[in-house]
Amino acid sequence: MKIKENPTRLDIAGTWRGIRMMLPLAVFTIAFGLAFGVAAVHQGLAGWEAMLMSLFVFAAPSQFAALEMWHSPLPLLALAAVTLAIHTRHMLMSAALYPWLKALPQRQQFAMVILLTDSNWAMALGEYQRGERNLGILLGGGIALWGAWVIGTAVGLAFGGGITEPERFGLDVIMLCFLLMIVVGGNTRAAMALPWLAAAASALMAYWWLPPYLHVMVGAITGGVVAVLLPGRWLRESAS
Amino acid sequence: MSPSPVWQSLIAITLMVVIAYGSRVLGLLIMSRVPLGPRVRRFVDAMSSSVLIAVITPIIVHGDGGVRLAAVAAGTVAVVMRNPLVSIATGMLCAAGWRWWVG
Repeated sequence: MKIKENPTRLDIAGTWRGIRMMLPLAVFTIAFGLAFGVAAVHQGLAGWEAMLMSLFVFAAPSQFAALEMWHSPLPLLALAAVTLAIHTRHMLMSAALYPWLKALPQRQQFAMVILLTDSNWAMALGEYQRGERNLGILLGGGIALWGAWVIGTAVGLAFGGGITEPERFGLDVIMLCFLLMIVVGGNTRAAMALPWLAAAASALMAYWWLPPYLHVMVGAITGGVVAVLLPGRWLRESAS
Repeated sequence: MSPSPVWQSLIAITLMVVIAYGSRVLGLLIMSRVPLGPRVRRFVDAMSSSVLIAVITPIIVHGDGGVRLAAVAAGTVAVVMRNPLVSIATGMLCAAGWRWWVG
């Protein structure tokens, strides 16, 4: 028996539901925002620079990676390339939402993905597969996360500067641990071992022998190429 | 002549915003025309995690014992417990502890 599918909707009630569903995770996001604020202060970023990033870029991995490259003069090209490589993931995620979003006019489709991040994407897609058609879940989840991220950053910026000798408190490893957690905490699969090893080795060699910051691009491309060259069945579970 | 630091920062952040939002829109645009094939998916998937690996590897290799211990501990906690906050807290504790005892 085929159940009649609800049409795609977007309303205030659904958005509220999305916000409430995301609140438990938003508490964590405040903590990450705080970590970013503190790390930004100690990396020498001005308060307004870190705040602008959190307000408008709204993507923790790229912001933490950018901290690592924030020296004067700014390596703009390398920064753009790194951001691009990190965000290719979002391209796939919005592509996965297309079947749900295509009922909307294109302008609304584009507006819906402004606040798209890993967490609200995962939550919304899970709900979609259970039959939810209200896009407020995606939007509300994004609003909750965005608010938490901005609040956290502001608090971290306000209080992070009061700490001298950040190394004594282990504050200098926040960025490293955060990026590490994103990589291995997400969906660790044995099949990724080879691409990641290749990425690490090639990045290290490029770090030693090539001009600054090229190592990130070299590692990213090597990892991608190795993954494509692997036998397809190794990575079958990742085809989702 | 290079632009002043303030302008550099503004340009850099604008670049990041355009790329961050552009990639989210690009997925929709591509899907409305051609569906992504499995090979492209696999490449993109591996590339977006490899870029983070490439950022952290030199930090670990060139870091002090505290940094290395933090990386191992945080990585282990992330895999075993899957709790991000505990993972970061463990890393910080390890780094702080190492510098307290070992120097």
